[in-house]
Amino acid sequence: METPHSTTHAPQGFWTKYLFSTDHKTIGIQYMITGLFMAAVGGFLAYVFRYNLAFPGESIPLFGQLDAMHYNAFVTNHGMIMVLFVGMPFLVSGLGNLLIPLMIGTDDMAFPTLNMMSFWIFLVSCLVMVAAFFVPGGAFGGGWTLYPPLSASGYVNRNPAFWSTFFSATPMFILGVALEFVSMLMGGINFLVTTINKRAEGMTPFKIPLIVWFLNIATLDFMVSVGPLVAGAVMLLLDNVVGTGFYDPARGGDPVLFQHLFWFFGHPEVYVLLLPALGVMGEIIPVFSRKPLFAYRTIIYLSLIAAVLSVVVWAHHQFIAGIDPRMATFFSIGTIIISIPFAGVFLSFMATLWGGSIRFTMPMIWALGFIGLFLIGGLTGLYLGSSTFDIYAHDTYFVVAHFHYTMFPVVFFGFFSAVYFWFPKFTGKHLNHTLGMIHFWLTFIPFNVTFFVLFFNGLAGQHRRVNEYSSFSNIMKEPYITFEKISTIGAIVLMVSQFIFLYNLFISLRKGRKAEKNPWDSNTLEWQADSPPVHGNFNPYPVVYHGPYEYSHPSSEQDFVPQDNPIVLKTN
Amino acid sequence: MTIFPENISTYGQEIDRLFYTISALVAVAFVISLFVLLYPLFNNSAKRVKKATYFTGAKRKHFRWITFALVALALSDFYFLYAEHGAWVTIEQTQVKPDFHVSITGRQWNWAFTYPGLDGKLYTPDDIVINEMNSELHVPINKNIVVDLWAKDVLHSFFVPNIRLKQDCVPGRMIQRWFKLTKTGTYDIACAELCGLLHGKMRNFLVVESQEKFNGYIDSLYKKNAPALTMTNPSN
Ligand code: HEM
Ligand SMILES: [Cu+2]
Repeated sequence: METPHSTTHAPQGFWTKYLFSTDHKTIGIQYMITGLFMAAVGGFLAYVFRYNLAFPGESIPLFGQLDAMHYNAFVTNHGMIMVLFVGMPFLVSGLGNLLIPLMIGTDDMAFPTLNMMSFWIFLVSCLVMVAAFFVPGGAFGGGWTLYPPLSASGYVNRNPAFWSTFFSATPMFILGVALEFVSMLMGGINFLVTTINKRAEGMTPFKIPLIVWFLNIATLDFMVSVGPLVAGAVMLLLDNVVGTGFYDPARGGDPVLFQHLFWFFGHPEVYVLLLPALGVMGEIIPVFSRKPLFAYRTIIYLSLIAAVLSVVVWAHHQFIAGIDPRMATFFSIGTIIISIPFAGVFLSFMATLWGGSIRFTMPMIWALGFIGLFLIGGLTGLYLGSSTFDIYAHDTYFVVAHFHYTMFPVVFFGFFSAVYFWFPKFTGKHLNHTLGMIHFWLTFIPFNVTFFVLFFNGLAGQHRRVNEYSSFSNIMKEPYITFEKISTIGAIVLMVSQFIFLYNLFISLRKGRKAEKNPWDSNTLEWQADSPPVHGNFNPYPVVYHGPYEYSHPSSEQDFVPQDNPIVLKTN
Repeated sequence: MTIFPENISTYGQEIDRLFYTISALVAVAFVISLFVLLYPLFNNSAKRVKKATYFTGAKRKHFRWITFALVALALSDFYFLYAEHGAWVTIEQTQVKPDFHVSITGRQWNWAFTYPGLDGKLYTPDDIVINEMNSELHVPINKNIVVDLWAKDVLHSFFVPNIRLKQDCVPGRMIQRWFKLTKTGTYDIACAELCGLLHGKMRNFLVVESQEKFNGYIDSLYKKNAPALTMTNPSN
């Protein structure tokens, strides 16, 4: 093995150390902080339109009046921001950067400069998204799914005066998303190359921790699926700024084409976020059950199958979009089949708990909360996978409730689990447990309050993306009016309680209990580095002898066996 | 509180029934999963169980409970697919003999209704077009109504919760659907696909009435016979 850090030495100045850093740890944290800012933006938008839904027409505290045009823009941007500008930096770029090099026992990413560039492009993409709120006419309001012909012309905001110029809502929205893709692709290349080439000696494929596997599968899934959408987005951009007619049937175009291209990406994108979150659970649950991850290899095989299938189920978003009804059966079957490997992964996580010696630490509680919520999200997906029921439920609040029950746990419970777990590693300080518990319950309960009632509003026929429901008094009657209010109150409590988390971060950084190298008695390599890890991570580089989940092995004295511990484990 | 709005179509119950069938399975799956999740949390806390059992689950034999569960899930899923297929074919793939044929066009921001004129045929110059916000679509009860769905400008989605029918309307295409209604009254027609600024205000009414009243309504349209009412299909 080569001698470590012969070529790298820690940068000294503030600029190179904290801002234009090429260190994967700094970049990972930069991604997460940027993600937090975008979460504040996306959350604020949600607060504003949620308030408007419960109290239509009233002036919204901290904002003012919300008209239909801004309602559409807010919902649209909320969706896109939460998925691509919060979920992605938290779970893919953030965790990937922080964890991959440490968990495979190396000093940094394969291409550190590319990595830095990927972050700065991401930052620009965030600025473009936010800046779009301030151009004449306001931000893009055609739905986060960007369906043309609405998105392909000035119809979006009904103000043709500005749509032909480049610095208007739609092109900026597309540009922001495109830049985000560029950044993700740069980061993704790094993940794959690093994982393939820079693993510590002895780290064979089935000694790689689950989350590193999942981050790579997610990256591949992203790369495979994003191409068609980029093509679709370029055509959309041309329709907007040059006046081509790719999606204009009057000129031989086809609006449904875009839906295919969008969902060919959009559905795998759900798994791009889900997989890293599952990876987090796959690390946390064994550690705090003191037991090996149940069926580790099978989980990896199942996820590979799911990733392949994820690119052939997209049209279940289009059951009633005017596609040939006979095709629906095919996509229904695909949707059913893809739910099975994921159910297998979840059941394996639960099986890990059985026979364990469970420690209810903060990260474990968040992980268990994740599984509980995702259970509801997954089971309500069964209704929507049925194309026949989808005729009724499509584009109602039933769908809104369903996907929040999947996406919110993935994005936020995944993120919080990870933060509560790895915070000691990357800062050298423990988070406060009591504040963590308060934060957990004030997130878990209000989340359910916010979204559970919306299932019923959806079943009652309430459709999405409507700023005020006064035109539909047959649907919007009691108890659904009250449900809207309950949902909004839940959302406000949910958002306010996030300040507890921020306060916990802040206070623990300053005054938190000092964390040792391996506070949770974990096996994976990152816990064998210092807390926080020095520039270059390891000295010397670790050599790997064991799989990542050897907890409570009968032939070992202590109940964990770090991957780089040379003792010999007798297998029976 | 009823879960669904009142059903007025012949096939609506099948969707409602499907909902309850899926709910039964979901309830069972939920209870079992919750037990599997919660039982060890109570039984295996570190306080009670000092040392965990070393168990990798790597052998196929160990995975068999999960395999059982997955097979059960798959089988019940495919059962739904089988059970619902009839309703899907009825709603989406059936050509009924039309008793009344009407053309509906989504536009920003209302539904426009085109009735056949005196010649009884659609898409002829004497068609009668009602094209205004909040207007009514009149149809006779207990008759096969066939609707041609069009969109003029952007995507729209024809949604009548009481019929359980929703269908996207796509510019440049005509999509045909049908329904047969069993109860007279006035119901909402919404647009379920975001179509711009006043998407949420896009609301018309469906009036289901007896054949006699319906005939009277159509006659009154013919009598008005104002040139303003006669124009070609707005989607052309
Ligand atoms: C902070 C808590 C949140 C609240 C209160 C909230 C609330 C809502 C509501 C009420 C809608 C529907 C608006 C409408 O159709 O008129 C919506 C749409 C949406 N939300 Fe959230 N949401 C939250 C968090 C999230 C998260 C974490 C994600 C995903 C990662 C997300 C993704 C979306 C998406 C994709 C849409 C659809 C946007 C569209 O229709 O174009 N939301 N949200
Ligand atoms: Cu519409």
